Amino acid sequence: MKFRFQTPLIGFLVIFLASVTASAAKPDQASRPLSERFAGKQPDANHDEVPHFQKHVIPLLGKLGCNGRACHGSFQGRGGFQLSLFGYDFSADHLALLDEDSGRVDVQDVEESLILSKPTDADMHEGGKRFDRDSWQYRVLEKWISKGAIGPKKTPTKLVKLSVTPAEIRFDSDKQSVSLNAVAHWQDGTIEDVTELCRFSSNDDSIAAIDEDGNLQSGEVGDTHVVVYYDNAVVPIPVIRPTKSLPTGQEPLNVSQSTSNHPIDQLVADKLSKLGIEPSRSCTDSEFIRRVSLDMTGILPTSDAVREFLDDSSPDKREVLIESLLQSPGYAAWWATRLSDWTGNSDEQLNNVLPVRGVATKLWYAWLKKRLDDNVPYDELVEGIVSAESREEGEDYRQFCENMTQACQPGGEDLFAERSGLPLYWSRRNFKKPEERAIGFAYTFLGVRIECAQCHKHPFDRWSKNDFDEFAKLFTPIKANAKGGKAIQEIRNEMIAKITKGNKVEKGNLRRAIYKAAREGEVVPFDELLVNTSAAANNAAKARRIAKKKGRKPGNVKVASGTILGEEEPTTLDKDPRVDLMQWLRSPENPYFAKAIVNRVWSNYFGIGIVDPSDDMNLANPPSNAPLLDYLASEFVANDFDLHWLHRTITTSDTYQRSAAANVTNASDRKNFSRHIPRRLPAEVVYDCVVLATGSDASAEKLRSDLDDMAIADGKAKLRNRQDFALEVFGQSERESNCDCDRSDDPSLLQSIYLRNDVDMYKRLSDKNGWVNQACKTLGVPGPTGNGNAKKQAIQRNLAAAQQQFLKRLDRFKHQSRNAKQRKQIRKGLNKGHQNLVRRMKPHGYEIPDLDDLIKNPEIWKPIDADESSKSTAAIAASLDSLIEEAYLRTLSRFPEPEETEIGIAYIKESKTPAAGLESLLWALVNTKEFIISH
Amino acid sequence: MHRTCDGIHRRDMLRAGVLSLGGLSLSGYLKMADAGQVAPGRATRAIFIELPGGPSHLDSFDPKPNAPDDIRGSFKTINTNVPGIQVSEHLPKLARVMDKFVILRGVSHTLAAHRLGQEYVNTGSKPIPALEYPSYGSVLAKEQPGRPEIPTQVAIPRGSQGPGFLGIRYAALETNSTPAFGKPYSVRGISLPSGIGVEEVRRRQTLLEKLDRRFSKLEQNSQLLDGLDRFGQQAYSMITSPDARKAFDISQEPDSFASQFGESGFGQSCLLALRLVESGVRMVSVQLGGWDTHQDNFTKLKTDNLPKLDEGLSGLLTGLDQRGLLESTAVYVTGEFGRTPKINSRSAEGGRDHYPRCMFMLMAGGGVRGGQVIGESDDTASGPRHDAIKPDDVAASFYHNLGIDPSLEFDSNTGRPITLVRDGTVIDQLFS
Repeated sequence: MKFRFQTPLIGFLVIFLASVTASAAKPDQASRPLSERFAGKQPDANHDEVPHFQKHVIPLLGKLGCNGRACHGSFQGRGGFQLSLFGYDFSADHLALLDEDSGRVDVQDVEESLILSKPTDADMHEGGKRFDRDSWQYRVLEKWISKGAIGPKKTPTKLVKLSVTPAEIRFDSDKQSVSLNAVAHWQDGTIEDVTELCRFSSNDDSIAAIDEDGNLQSGEVGDTHVVVYYDNAVVPIPVIRPTKSLPTGQEPLNVSQSTSNHPIDQLVADKLSKLGIEPSRSCTDSEFIRRVSLDMTGILPTSDAVREFLDDSSPDKREVLIESLLQSPGYAAWWATRLSDWTGNSDEQLNNVLPVRGVATKLWYAWLKKRLDDNVPYDELVEGIVSAESREEGEDYRQFCENMTQACQPGGEDLFAERSGLPLYWSRRNFKKPEERAIGFAYTFLGVRIECAQCHKHPFDRWSKNDFDEFAKLFTPIKANAKGGKAIQEIRNEMIAKITKGNKVEKGNLRRAIYKAAREGEVVPFDELLVNTSAAANNAAKARRIAKKKGRKPGNVKVASGTILGEEEPTTLDKDPRVDLMQWLRSPENPYFAKAIVNRVWSNYFGIGIVDPSDDMNLANPPSNAPLLDYLASEFVANDFDLHWLHRTITTSDTYQRSAAANVTNASDRKNFSRHIPRRLPAEVVYDCVVLATGSDASAEKLRSDLDDMAIADGKAKLRNRQDFALEVFGQSERESNCDCDRSDDPSLLQSIYLRNDVDMYKRLSDKNGWVNQACKTLGVPGPTGNGNAKKQAIQRNLAAAQQQFLKRLDRFKHQSRNAKQRKQIRKGLNKGHQNLVRRMKPHGYEIPDLDDLIKNPEIWKPIDADESSKSTAAIAASLDSLIEEAYLRTLSRFPEPEETEIGIAYIKESKTPAAGLESLLWALVNTKEFIISH
Repeated sequence: MHRTCDGIHRRDMLRAGVLSLGGLSLSGYLKMADAGQVAPGRATRAIFIELPGGPSHLDSFDPKPNAPDDIRGSFKTINTNVPGIQVSEHLPKLARVMDKFVILRGVSHTLAAHRLGQEYVNTGSKPIPALEYPSYGSVLAKEQPGRPEIPTQVAIPRGSQGPGFLGIRYAALETNSTPAFGKPYSVRGISLPSGIGVEEVRRRQTLLEKLDRRFSKLEQNSQLLDGLDRFGQQAYSMITSPDARKAFDISQEPDSFASQFGESGFGQSCLLALRLVESGVRMVSVQLGGWDTHQDNFTKLKTDNLPKLDEGLSGLLTGLDQRGLLESTAVYVTGEFGRTPKINSRSAEGGRDHYPRCMFMLMAGGGVRGGQVIGESDDTASGPRHDAIKPDDVAASFYHNLGIDPSLEFDSNTGRPITLVRDGTVIDQLFS
């Protein structure tokens, strides 16, 4: 074991000398480093050693930077010489090196080899001088060439393990340093110190900086990983520098000793103890109800729900709330939207897959939603996608077309949701080629980005181009939009003939005719998903026959096959490969499947995954808390992939229920879940929150009970070339490029402009079905100005004036002394005036008492409120308190502070009208940061 | 933490900013805006005119008067104010300002579907499924952000290419409507609704500042909170500043100036584009559609599309010149492809179909030397006569004109390093 301290230690450095497996070789069994074996001009005992192409030559070229992207790893090569990017395509690299035209390796005239002469001469080499003539690097390459420049074996030698020491590092102050040491264990039994052939990187330079020789220097407080690369091994080494520096020799205090026996809390506390971080206290009840409602269902709680929850004094009220949210329709609605993101439910990519436009994405959504509603185990849900068949059991082609035609009619989504499979997943335009499927499948179900390996060795994982190609082959037999065999073709023709009434119709027009027929409910032909296993089977059978004919043993006949990522044994393609794939996915040993979903769900609740980004599980991007991810994944499998279990387990933990207020120890922590990290709400949630907060009780109630029009329930799905403006601005997922980053929660200028000044917003604030109008009604003042209201007010004013005038006439009639004749005359005039008034007032809902009764007692005629708007804001001040409270509850899910109420009342009093004041108040609340971010 | 495909760490991903913002950290953006970084280059602003549908090159800027009837079509050719350059007879006004722009002929690619073709010419990179490239405007918005009270980029009425992997922060403000001649014009989000004055907005802002306190004490150094505050302030100044509203209000132009753009919506959009770049908008894109002339090609072109383009674009070039803006404004005009040389017989007078193998593009402004034809198509305009010009080359030249290095490298939102225009070479002749 070797590690050197390069600077005097200031603090205490703890190094865990853990080996990953018990069989790890002791360092003294390892060969000395290449640099020692090839040191000096006097060759030592090893002077007969010939450097190995895979073990030494390629890693050395990699270390020297030759196969980097800017150099010979570029796809165009450099200086007429191209190496595979990041290596691991050994035969291609060997060919390139020995290519006579490139002149890189000259076995006849060793010194003339350009890989020796160029890197030693800065003038000759665009990439500059890389090593000296008397360096060990030169001698290694020279020796390899002089011994014949032997290339790779047909299959690469397997690197069993790269053991790196120290396996874990803890710094206690800055400017501490430690050097890493790496030993390769090859399948052929050799063990070698390869530190100087490794590449090193740090996931966070500010905490741990690492140089190209593997020397590590401590920086700020926090935790990260440094990563060691050699051959196809990628080894992350955790580095921690706790917040509180500890006295020399003392083990970390268990500062975050959790009183909770919740497994999540304990696993998080373990990590926090190491970091010396104290978690934040628990969030308040009003923070909790808002947070969990938005995270779990995407729906803002009603003000009544908030009041009720805050009033509730039962100790388990949070658990009860979680349970009721899980059972609410919002849960399935919102998570079907999230699953639509991850599975790539894109109308654009489903164009023309079904004969009615815009339907495919709705069917897809409904299918997912039903399963979430029924809490179908996640593996079964995925099986319905992965192993999807077009037809139900026992359904013949005609019935299939009839049923699908029906499902495509408005409201037919439920029929489709009843079907067992979701073949639409396989029909997307960007999911047709085997390589597209390999990338998409790994993204959706494994949370792994393998696209790098499509062209070159994955820089952060073990995947080689060959691994990718073998994986992609698995998808070749699946034909998503198949027209079927002869028998089915006949039925199709029959249906088409019926639609076209036997006329011959051209391509584009035929499609239009079919679409029209489908819309009208006439049965039209549908494409099917078919798996072509016969090609592989036939080819194999043919090869066997030939072998037999020629008298050879047919044992070695190769059936076309592909290989599941990371598996040894290939899967033959003479049967549906999806069976093997599905079996592999749901097996408890699968390294990705359960973790991918667990991590995505976690990420939804915390704004950051345990692996982050949540769809980028790779060796160089290890989880921030591996035991936590392992626990959740394995328990999720043990609980039969029960999604409710997962959501419940996460949300009932103290860890989820932490406050956003930081303390001294956790202020800079963003990835160890020591507090709540505020984040901008997702696009659909923002959209709905605005609509619910500004809408009247009645209209919000309707939305909440019906869900269909809510954005979180796919009510505003992105259709082809058409997306709701606000949802686009707030970053609704494009669902196009196999990346969780298709959804964005970044803030932007247009978002701020939208919330402040968009016509949508003004409409909502002043809408007659809006909350401001409702509030004005309860105050008995006119609502927000609108044409209708102004007209009404004018009429009211006129009528009130007429009333006053008439009452004055009555008064005169009663009190002025006139003779009988005159009185009769006046009385007649009054009669006429009364009739006129009745005629004028009736249409506006005003009743006038009989004239006789009025004369007896004019007070029985209640005065018409001449100008309600003239009602002073002072008069309504008493009711403003409760309205401001209501405004806070329906936007921010909390009661206002006394100071906030005062500000609100003062503002409304100074406003032209109460309506204008209330509008501004609601506008301001919706525009606070508190409204748009989680807390 | 993201890494790039070649193991280089994102330097701009500060530790405090583990907040994954895709592409570039917000802090990087804020810093850049603070520094007011503007790369040197002749043009400091741009107008991109899209002709979606795919205009017929033969009937506009690449006529073949000597080709057979079934290719040449019914239009005649006219001379321009640059000797030796001829265009269609239905472009008389542009012919008179030929010295102000360049025709690129024999531009060629292979994507014959509208959407794919548009993505290609709108980005300079052939579309690939795993990644969406950013529009020119989004790149410009990121590289050369403008004044806070003016939007950085505007699309009239909307753009066919979004910000792609650069993220929604760099999306264009879409007007969603087209201005009409002589009428006041206002835009969603920028103009105030009737009944609400600037005073009222100021009062509201004061109220908001009083109430929006909860999170300020909660966390320092939060990029999210900083970003929300920053964008909120910017939105406020944009809404209350008279500059933005004035810039959009084309009715402030004297009739004599406005009328040279023609009274069409497109012409007035060009006028609006001019006003916007004049007041500091970095990039304006304008759309003129209706070029998908599978049927009745000639009637449509001569009665509608060509006159609109002729008036609007000549008005724009003249207007930019009159205002002294042409030298600082890069103009780029393109459809997604050309149209088949052979006239089809689907309608009485015939039409032309999608044809990416040969098309035209126009460039002007900034360092571009007008009055040239660059590239050449063969006798029947069926393909380039010599070397093809690729959309990539034109994109590279457009960026170059704006002082943006086309080989600039970005990290995609998955951390993959992407060269802005990978396969394009700047066309030197444009600037010589």
